[in-house]
Amino acid sequence: MNFTEHTKIREEKFGTVVFDTLTEKIFITDQIGGDILRLIEQGKDLPVILSVLHDNYDGDEQNVEKDVVEFIDQLKSSNIVSV
Amino acid sequence: MDVVAEDKNLSRLTNPGPDDQLRAILKGSSFDDYNSPLFIAWQLNSACNLGCLHCCEEAGHSMPDEMTKEQALDFCEQIAELNIPYMAISGGEPLLCPHFFDVCESIRSHNISLKIETNGEFIDEKTALKLTDLKLRSVQISLDGATAETHERLRVEGDWDKAIQACKYLVKNGGNTEIVFVPTKFNIHEVGDVIDLAYSLGSYGVYTGKIMRIGRAAKNWDILSPSAEEYEKFFDVLKEKTAAYEGKMKVYYYPYDVIEELKYRLECPSASLLVVPNGKVKLIGPLPFICGDLKKESLSQIWGNYKKAWQNPEVIEFTKKVIAEPKLLAESNNWRQI
Ligand SMILES: C[S@@+](CC[C@H](N)C(=O)[O-])C[C@H]1O[C@@H](n2cnc3c(N)ncnc32)[C@H](O)[C@@H]1O
Ligand code: SF4
Repeated sequence: MNFTEHTKIREEKFGTVVFDTLTEKIFITDQIGGDILRLIEQGKDLPVILSVLHDNYDGDEQNVEKDVVEFIDQLKSSNIVSV
Repeated sequence: MDVVAEDKNLSRLTNPGPDDQLRAILKGSSFDDYNSPLFIAWQLNSACNLGCLHCCEEAGHSMPDEMTKEQALDFCEQIAELNIPYMAISGGEPLLCPHFFDVCESIRSHNISLKIETNGEFIDEKTALKLTDLKLRSVQISLDGATAETHERLRVEGDWDKAIQACKYLVKNGGNTEIVFVPTKFNIHEVGDVIDLAYSLGSYGVYTGKIMRIGRAAKNWDILSPSAEEYEKFFDVLKEKTAAYEGKMKVYYYPYDVIEELKYRLECPSASLLVVPNGKVKLIGPLPFICGDLKKESLSQIWGNYKKAWQNPEVIEFTKKVIAEPKLLAESNNWRQI
C-alpha cells in the first residue's frame, strides 16, 4: 500500500492534512487517522497497522479493525492510496 | 476523515478570499496554523517580449540581481523539504528564463502540483511536448481577445496567432490547457467569445476576474478600467457561460477587486508566498512590502517573517490607507523591506 504520486500529507496543529493535488481536494483527519496515514507512509501493511493501533488505543479489536478497513477503503476510493 | 474542500479553483482553495463558503469550511485552520505555506507563486524572471498596457509586473527587462540557476534550484529543494503542495510559475515571460525547464523538472520531481502562466508565444510543437511531459497541473495561456486586433491592442508586440497555436499544440499533446482573460475597456465585450473560443480549442478551463490596479495597469488606469455597467454585463455573461459549459469546461471567475481582497487579507492572510525574480518575498501582490530574501534566509525563516509581518503596525496602517485611497496601489512595485 502506497500513497499515489499526487498526494501530499502534512502534519499541522489542527490535524493531519491530505492534499490530493490532482483533484484539488483537501482532507483533514483526526489523530487516529493521522497515525494510520503515517504508518502507510512507512510502507506498513494492514496487519502491522492494526497491531500498532491495538497497542496504542483502547477499544474492541473487531471494531478497530472494521474502522481501519473502512478508513483505508475510503483512502483507496478517493485515490489517495494505491495497493 | 472529512473532505473539507472539494472542486474549488486552486487559487481560491489555497488563497481563500472573501468566499463565505470556503471561509466556513476552513474555519479553525488559519494561515497561522500551517507549518509552511500551502501555495507559492513564483515570478521567475522579469524579462518579457511584450509590453502589455495592463501588466501588473511592469515586465520587460531582466532585473540585474535575479536568482541564479543554482539559487533557484536550491529554492526548489526547500519547497520540497517543506512539503508545499501547490506552486505557480509566472514572470515576466517564464519561458524566456534559461533555467525554466530545470526549475520545472525539479519541482515536478517532488510531485508538487505546478501551474505555468505564459503568453504562449514560445510554445512550438517541441516545447509543447516538453511541457506536456512534465504533467503540469496546467499551462495557462493569456488570451485577452477573441480576435488578434483586440488581443494585440492590449498586449503590445503580442501575437494572437502564436498564443492560439500554443493552445492547439498543448491540447494535441494532451496537456491541460487553460485560458486567462483580463478585462479592460478594450476587450471586456469579447469575454463571451473568448470563452467559446477556449472551448473550441479544447481548453480545460477559463480564468478571469477584475483587472488589478497595480503596475502598468495603475499607470494606465483611466484608459483601461471598465465602468460599473461594463462589469455588470461582464459578470452576467460569465454566469451565463458558466451554466452553459457546466460539465464541459470550467469557467472560473473571482468577483472581487484588489481593494476587497486587501480588506479580507488584513483579517485573514492566505497561507501563500509571492516570490519575485530576485528572491525577495512579497506579502501580497498589491502591497509593496517585502518580508524576506531567499538569497539570505531560508524559506522556513521567511514563512515565520511572513506570519509576523501581518501583525506589523506599518503594514496594517499602510493597507488601511490603500483601502481608503486605491491610487496608492501604484506603489505596489516600489518594494519596501519590513
Ligand atoms: C504577469 S503575467 C506573467 C505571465 C505571462 N507573461 C503572461 O502574460 O501570461 C501573469 C498573468 O497576470 C495577468 N495580468 C497582468 N496584469 C494584470 C492586471 N493588472 N490585473 C490582472 N491580471 C493581470 C496576465 O494577463 C497573465 O495572465
Ligand atoms: S502581462 Fe505577461 S506578457 Fe504582458 S508584459 Fe506582463 S509579463 Fe509580459
